[in-house]
Amino acid sequence: MRKLNEPNFEGLSDRDRATVVEMVKKGANRREVMAWMMAAGATAAAAGSVFGGAKEAWANTPKKGGRMVISSDQHGPADTLDPAAMTASIDYIRSRMVYNGLVRMQKDLSYAPELAEEILPNADASEWTFKLKKGVEWHNGKSFNADDVVYTMNRHLGADSKSVVNSLYEGVESWQKVNDHEVKAILKTPNADLPAILGLFQSKIIPDGQTDFSAAPGTGPFKVAEFKPGVRCVVQRNENYHEENGPYLDEIESLGIGDSVARVSALLAGDIDIMANLPPKSIEQIEQDSGTEVWSTPSSAYITFACRQDMDMSGNRDLVRAMQLLMDRERLVKGVFKGQASVGNDHPIGPAYFDHCADIPQRPMDPDQAKFHFEKSGIGNTPIPVITAEVAPGCVEMGTYLQREASKIGMNIDLKKVTTDGYWSAVWLKEAICAVSWNMRPTANIMLTLAYESKANWNETYWKSEQFDKLLVEVRSVTDAAKRKQMYCDLQTLIHEDGGSITPVYRNYVDAVRTHVKGLTYVPLNAFGGAECPQYLWRDDA
Amino acid sequence: MLSLIVQRLLIGVVTVFAVSLIIFICTQWLPGDAAEIRLGQSATEANKAALRAELGLDKPLAVQYMNWATNFLQGDLGKSLAGDRSISESIGDRYQSTVTVSVLTAAIGIPLSLFLGIMAAMFPSTLYDRILTFVSVSLVAVPDFFTATLMVLIFVFAWDAVFGFQLANVVVIGNTQDMGVFELVGHYALPIATLCFVIASQVIRMTRAAVLNVMSSPYIEMAILKGVPRKRIILRHALLNAIGPIVNVIALNLAYLVSGVVVIEVYFAYNGLATFMVQGVQQRDFILVQSIGMLFCATYVILMLIADIASIVSNPRLRHPK
Repeated sequence: MRKLNEPNFEGLSDRDRATVVEMVKKGANRREVMAWMMAAGATAAAAGSVFGGAKEAWANTPKKGGRMVISSDQHGPADTLDPAAMTASIDYIRSRMVYNGLVRMQKDLSYAPELAEEILPNADASEWTFKLKKGVEWHNGKSFNADDVVYTMNRHLGADSKSVVNSLYEGVESWQKVNDHEVKAILKTPNADLPAILGLFQSKIIPDGQTDFSAAPGTGPFKVAEFKPGVRCVVQRNENYHEENGPYLDEIESLGIGDSVARVSALLAGDIDIMANLPPKSIEQIEQDSGTEVWSTPSSAYITFACRQDMDMSGNRDLVRAMQLLMDRERLVKGVFKGQASVGNDHPIGPAYFDHCADIPQRPMDPDQAKFHFEKSGIGNTPIPVITAEVAPGCVEMGTYLQREASKIGMNIDLKKVTTDGYWSAVWLKEAICAVSWNMRPTANIMLTLAYESKANWNETYWKSEQFDKLLVEVRSVTDAAKRKQMYCDLQTLIHEDGGSITPVYRNYVDAVRTHVKGLTYVPLNAFGGAECPQYLWRDDA
Repeated sequence: MLSLIVQRLLIGVVTVFAVSLIIFICTQWLPGDAAEIRLGQSATEANKAALRAELGLDKPLAVQYMNWATNFLQGDLGKSLAGDRSISESIGDRYQSTVTVSVLTAAIGIPLSLFLGIMAAMFPSTLYDRILTFVSVSLVAVPDFFTATLMVLIFVFAWDAVFGFQLANVVVIGNTQDMGVFELVGHYALPIATLCFVIASQVIRMTRAAVLNVMSSPYIEMAILKGVPRKRIILRHALLNAIGPIVNVIALNLAYLVSGVVVIEVYFAYNGLATFMVQGVQQRDFILVQSIGMLFCATYVILMLIADIASIVSNPRLRHPK
């Protein structure tokens, strides 16, 4: 597998390649490189093309040194270094600096080994063996071994687990140490996607017995130098890191700037190098400034109106269908998201998922059909309460859009905009219809289990379908590709047809950087390119 | 005079006590107690009972209040609900930047605005006075985030466009340890400048009004008739008499600098106590809100106490209330 950031030029041995890059680095011009190549026996044409490649390679060769300031959108007293308690972007990116996981997620959502060298499932994916990397050290100098993994993983198990992802680990029976560099996971129900769960931010490995997270040691590319929740975190390069492609920066400071105007100004002025969550209205400004760039990661994160199916009005099938048919998805993508999104199809599994089903026909905007369904619903002029808040870019605009379109067919939407503070505890899962924003998850199964299984804590539409629940569990152990594809298509079709979600767009993660920031990643799971970037970041002015 | 000061002190203590009671009772009214909030939705009754016992929440209210108050007096503010960190520690992280900004703003802004205000009183109705009045009234009228935006536009972006470098940072980030006073002023340049404008406009107007008010009293007319130079009349005779209301405005402004600068803190992204309070409210962390509320209350009481004592000292008539 090719390493990230590594230039690729074919047909040269490693040593020749290194020589050429070194020559270009020292200022060799085209003629000098060609002379050297031809002396070594190459043709003029080949030598010429190598020079171009080497120059580009030199420009793309990470340089060591420098520091960066990374700003997320929120931070506060709840900031933590405890992976099992992490819920915010700022925590995720910090955890990527300090810790490692057993695996790491890739751009295409496959996984690559990290602390686990080899991952070996048994035939029916009910028992997984992990061979751990040797010679890895914690920041405090202790060696990493199987006890650390077992301790970390046990924190996610059991009824009194305080882990925020314990529901995803429900299928795991136990973790066993085989020897110092081998652990085994025994599953209650087979799960071919176990590594995806291990790739979650919350599954990062901590040292055996660690309970104090004020400055926990990790095995990651950076060591914590200062951590003050809600103020800042400063990390410094781990010179003893166990991988070769990084880290390059000397130091990273991470913090949150809650106000989006202040965040954008700070980036434009160069006070910060990277910012999360660029509001759509500022995209043009960032594009036009010569010192800044938009960093957009296509994803299947989505915003949706969740209609509770257990309540009278919001559970009316014809009302839900009418609202779905009112959505001019193309226009929302262009107008509200400035193109940094893709068209949604009223189910949560967008095209960035491996198991996305492209066969479901796209639901169009159709005011006539919408009117037909609305009249059939018999709701008439009764106000329909819809609640929205600025919880993600576009949530409020989507609400006003719906209200305007609805009034054209005589639907009376009573739109309430509330503050984001307390939204998830006071509005979400409680009100009949409200706007919700979801991050992307590593697999379709995790996403569906979190938000659509009947018994899920976060089943925001209170939609209950036995057929769906049964399929969702069955599909986990299916290894036949065609069968698996069909089953996932059925799952998505069920939500598309019967569910209570109005999902008009899948949105990109849109961040922004100064132009000297290199080594960006594009893993579609979170802001900051899936928060995978810290190890690879470098400054081209270093 | 001593008895008056002691009396004021006692009133201050009673105020703090009363506020602490109000804060305590209000948080009791909020739905859900600390144990429920900390353990979240999935907690069992047994878990909650255990944590309640650990936190002392199962005791009668009076006992709980006494525990909270004595701990508070000893500097133990408890643990925040959101994280497992002690609140004193978290406040320690933030109080430094709040104190730095407030002290520097006060040290620069207050002498400057006193001077400008007195000058305005010395030359009333002149062009200088009119311009100053116009500017300070405008600054009182516009919200502080507008002033802040103007500062950023002028000193960062416009300055960069004209001179090719930025005079200040948009956001205040980075460590301030080992910085000298001048470095600190540079580090916090824009928030300090903005806050100076905000408090200066009030102090200038109050100083001018108070001094002019005294200037129309008979004893000043007497001094003028006697031929005392105007400078001496204002500095020796009028100012001392006008100091009461001026000190009060200064004290209120100082208290505002500690507790009320949320907008400025958010705008320039430095983490002070005011933002901390707001974050506490957002995360429903009432233990944190309780503690910071008490801190703010104490700040106000102490500053007003100092203002009272200063006016008593400067004005003998206040020592003999009718």
